[in-house]
Amino acid sequence: MDRTAVHLIGLDFGSTTSSALVARARVGHHGVTGRMELESPEIVYRPEPVFTPFRDDGIDADAIDALLDRWFAASGFRPQDFFAGGTIITGLAALRDNATIIARAVGNRIGEAVVATADDPCLESWLAFMGSCSTLSRLHPGRPILNLDIGGGTTNPALGLDGDVSATGCHYIGARHFQVRPGTYRLTSISQQGRALLQSLDLRREVGDVLDEPALAAVLDWYVAALEAVVRGDSTFFATSVGRTHEQVAFPGSTGAAITFSGGVGELLYRHAAGQPLPGTTHFGDLGIDLALRIARSPLLARDLNAMVPEQRGRATVYGLALHSTEVSGTTLFLPDAGVLPLRDLPVVARLPIGAGAAAIGDAIALARRHARGACIQFLGTMPAQDGVKRLGERIARALGHASPLDRPLVLLLEPNLGKTLGNYATDWGRARTSLIVVDEMPDRHAHFANIGRPRDGVVPVSFYGMH
Amino acid sequence: MKPLPDIVVPDPRPDEIYATTVLDRSFTFKGLKALLGAADVSKAGDRVAGLAAPDEVTREAARHILAGLTLQHLYDRPLTDDKGRVDSVMRVNYDIDLEAFGSIASMTLGALKDHLLRSAPAEVKRVGGALTGVMAAALVKLMDVHELVLVARKAKRSAKARTLLGLPGTLSSRLQPNHPSDNLDGITMLVYAGLSMGSGDQLLGVNPAIDTVENIGALLRHLDKLRRTTGAPTQICVLSHVKTQLACLERGDPVEILFQSLAGTDRTLTEEFDVTVDLLDRACVTMAERGPLRDVAATWMYFETGQGSELTYGKHNGMDMAVCEALCYGLARRYDPFMVNNVTGFIGPETHLDNVEMIVSNLQDHCMAKLMGLPMGMAPCYTLHSKITLEGQQMATQLLTAAGCNYYMDVHLHTDRMLAYFDTSGHDDQTLREVHGLKPAPEFLRWAMERGIFEEAEDGTVLRGPHWGNPRLFCSSDAEYQRLLESVPAAYGFDSAGPRPADRVSRTLRANLAVGREAIYADLRIDAVDGLTFRRFRTAAGDREAHLNDPELGSRLADELRTQLSPERSDVQIVVSDGLSAEAIHHNVPALLPVLLDGLRSRDCKIGPPILAPFGRVKLAEAVGDALQAKLTLVLIGERPGGDALASRSMSAYFAYRLDDPQTRAEAARFSGNPDVRYEYSVISNIYAGGLPPVEAGSVVAEKIFDILAHKAAGNRLESLIASDRKTRP
Repeated sequence: MDRTAVHLIGLDFGSTTSSALVARARVGHHGVTGRMELESPEIVYRPEPVFTPFRDDGIDADAIDALLDRWFAASGFRPQDFFAGGTIITGLAALRDNATIIARAVGNRIGEAVVATADDPCLESWLAFMGSCSTLSRLHPGRPILNLDIGGGTTNPALGLDGDVSATGCHYIGARHFQVRPGTYRLTSISQQGRALLQSLDLRREVGDVLDEPALAAVLDWYVAALEAVVRGDSTFFATSVGRTHEQVAFPGSTGAAITFSGGVGELLYRHAAGQPLPGTTHFGDLGIDLALRIARSPLLARDLNAMVPEQRGRATVYGLALHSTEVSGTTLFLPDAGVLPLRDLPVVARLPIGAGAAAIGDAIALARRHARGACIQFLGTMPAQDGVKRLGERIARALGHASPLDRPLVLLLEPNLGKTLGNYATDWGRARTSLIVVDEMPDRHAHFANIGRPRDGVVPVSFYGMH
Repeated sequence: MKPLPDIVVPDPRPDEIYATTVLDRSFTFKGLKALLGAADVSKAGDRVAGLAAPDEVTREAARHILAGLTLQHLYDRPLTDDKGRVDSVMRVNYDIDLEAFGSIASMTLGALKDHLLRSAPAEVKRVGGALTGVMAAALVKLMDVHELVLVARKAKRSAKARTLLGLPGTLSSRLQPNHPSDNLDGITMLVYAGLSMGSGDQLLGVNPAIDTVENIGALLRHLDKLRRTTGAPTQICVLSHVKTQLACLERGDPVEILFQSLAGTDRTLTEEFDVTVDLLDRACVTMAERGPLRDVAATWMYFETGQGSELTYGKHNGMDMAVCEALCYGLARRYDPFMVNNVTGFIGPETHLDNVEMIVSNLQDHCMAKLMGLPMGMAPCYTLHSKITLEGQQMATQLLTAAGCNYYMDVHLHTDRMLAYFDTSGHDDQTLREVHGLKPAPEFLRWAMERGIFEEAEDGTVLRGPHWGNPRLFCSSDAEYQRLLESVPAAYGFDSAGPRPADRVSRTLRANLAVGREAIYADLRIDAVDGLTFRRFRTAAGDREAHLNDPELGSRLADELRTQLSPERSDVQIVVSDGLSAEAIHHNVPALLPVLLDGLRSRDCKIGPPILAPFGRVKLAEAVGDALQAKLTLVLIGERPGGDALASRSMSAYFAYRLDDPQTRAEAARFSGNPDVRYEYSVISNIYAGGLPPVEAGSVVAEKIFDILAHKAAGNRLESLIASDRKTRP
């Protein structure tokens, strides 16, 4: 069991680029914590990011198919090789039916192991932090880290401490709101937010014009001021007319935190900080290089550039998808019929303390029963007192006895390792007719939805999404 | 290698009576085995086997007789197995330099000892090639500590695989980065830590937790990667069974050095270690033909031995522990090994009770092996249920280093996280190098100096360099270092004070050892759980001393109790015993038992009143099962404490299913290949707050019992039946 090697995949389709990453890890008991974990991760396939293929106003479905085929052929993996993973579709790639096209193309190839989520900005912030800073954060216990994941369309901030994320946000600050002809500053495209910004700066520029030095400086200065406002948690900055157009999810900020960067702009920034040459003027056809260089001149944003260097950086999100989007359950689940798995898109209808009373449990189970495809209830807290599990199980049993219908899957998610015992008490040791599943060793992800995968060697993969 | 049938061995003879008097006392010993056993320092294993002399005068009487016997006398009387035959291990021991033997055959053992003490190293080595294991063992029984050190020091041996080890003036180390779950990150961290302390020139060698071809192959490839990326001039090995390693070699995995544990009797070697001399011969030839070091190495075999293994399996053929150990060396010598390692002290108090027994055995083993021509490394070690201490272990290493020991282990901070025992550390190895003015192997030293691990003073002295003891040296980033560090249990920090761990680190380490020892010596204080009162059963181990020193006693019920019991024929009989940790019971049974009982009652199981049996062992299940005629006896028992304080509270659940109906017993016999099988066993271990919590374990144990009773099977047969159920399920 402890030696099971699994393959995990991450696919990231963004406004600008799309990335893939395949990692190998082992499912096993962590030697220190005793929890089941994906350990000793090793990247085994990491192609260069490519531009997300758009045609006219939409995604180019044929090109997406070809891209996926190319990645799979080059990686040497078959769809059935994957234990779990994640696909995230963001920005322009998530607009209208683009997300459906991409999700279908991925689903057709990989099937049920990988879950696609679209336009889940806080999940993206969380993934970027986990992919780039989770280890760094544990290296500096007690010191908060604020990671700014700056890509083409958005900046996704996340604040974390000791490896856990406590706050996320999302702002339309990125490299690609102003697209230019590579090697020049002649505008080829301006996003909706870009237009609002030009207007607020009283700059009249259209596609075909050159973004000259003063205009470029004004745009970049505003972006840096906006990023500094994100860091400081300055809500007034985003309360203005132009500010509102640039904020999707507000972020509380943290002035004392160490600041790190990821995403494409973050990658360029660290290259610059390390004294490495950057590509030539607007090499990528956007303002990414200029933005990175401007951030490097901000005393606030650049203060930890050399002292706190995160991992993965440009691939933080896709790495986070492969390695962190899936949690591995404990080995002693309560799962009377493994045939009911996988279960997809289960809403997490309630988050209760592990000592919750009968009324709260009854309400949660009644709510869960309204969902035709089943639902999850998350129990929060550590191991209860000695007979606490029995009492909790008996309360659940009583509530289940009053609920109907019984055939809808009800999944209890809990952190301490007592899934089997709780399940046994909640079902009178299997004698009560229920469709209860208890999955333990699940950390609290503050998510609205969960996917429970098929068991493998006694554990199930669980992924979460909907982290607004 | 000389074919076995071509090795000449004299025909065995009937036991003779050896007699002498000391002042007014007469002493007689029947046969060489008894004489050899009585002549040795008194050790726990030989006492249990009835071979040790009862007192000092008897021991000296035996030594007096032994000293007067000629080598020819020993040669002419090969020791036999229980059926009076010369076994294959004994036969291999007779493959000696007969010409050299001819020159010393008429010497008495006493004269030979004097000769070796007077001789130069070249003569000591020549004579060593003429000795069988029995002769070497007889010789060391006449030696005191200084003599064991002096003679061994004259017989320093070197060997070359990728690098040359064992040169004069060197002290090497085998890095032993074991991890309880073979976690590759954890192994990497321990390799980096060891290399940064100048350890690992002898070998990077992992004892695996799981002996499958797939896992061993993965570990080999990982060690190979670490060797290449660090550039350390050394060799690698994963210490699995020789058959697994040969399968890995067949697949193309880098089996640079081939490992196998050896035993001094054929029965132990074949029945317990699943190895024959023929297999070892084939393995050695295979390595010569296909091993990855075949073009650069002179030798590639690695053997591990240690006094007491034959005895604990009850397959020592009436020979004492030192003789059995020497016979291992005679077998190892056949393959001209790259390294041999001795782990005397590993088994526990049933073989070596205290520091003196362990230290003397180590010095004997080292001397015998060196005399017999082996490049010998030592691992003076202990478990917490013996009375051997860290101080005793450190005394052993000082003496063994004076005796010219080739290498020691580097087990990080002394604590093996996988095998739950205590061995030498990288700090110890460096301390010994500094105290005795020794260096690592030359190629490795150069590599380490380039990396600032060592530096050279103007007078040529090798000093610790600026990077000594800093594993961060090998990591590409702080994040990588952090990730690796998080995967190592019982890592208390890398601060050092000179070559020693910083006091803060030592205090944590010693506190954990103390907690572990206390768990073993704590009394079982539990009378009732959840309103349920235990009935107390006595085992044949009347007290803790007897329990620790003779494991067999805890497997039996006290005689007076057995006669009072009558069959109860319950479905499940629960037995709670301290085993090697009463604290494990105190911390787990109160939470586990109520859940388990609820589970069993839900299936209307007939449960016998639970039993509390202090000083018990796992096999007590059979004594209870036979007496009470329960279908299944569940033994909840404390595990042997290791180095982690919390793990000292770890408990196991053993399920002994009694094969009482003829059809089930026939099926079990067919499955196991053992026609006499009476019980089948399953086990769930690691029950404690840091592993499987007791509340959850209650359910897991209950469900295992349901499975056993439903399938009328336990152990591998049960798992096989469950797997076959799954396949046939629609």
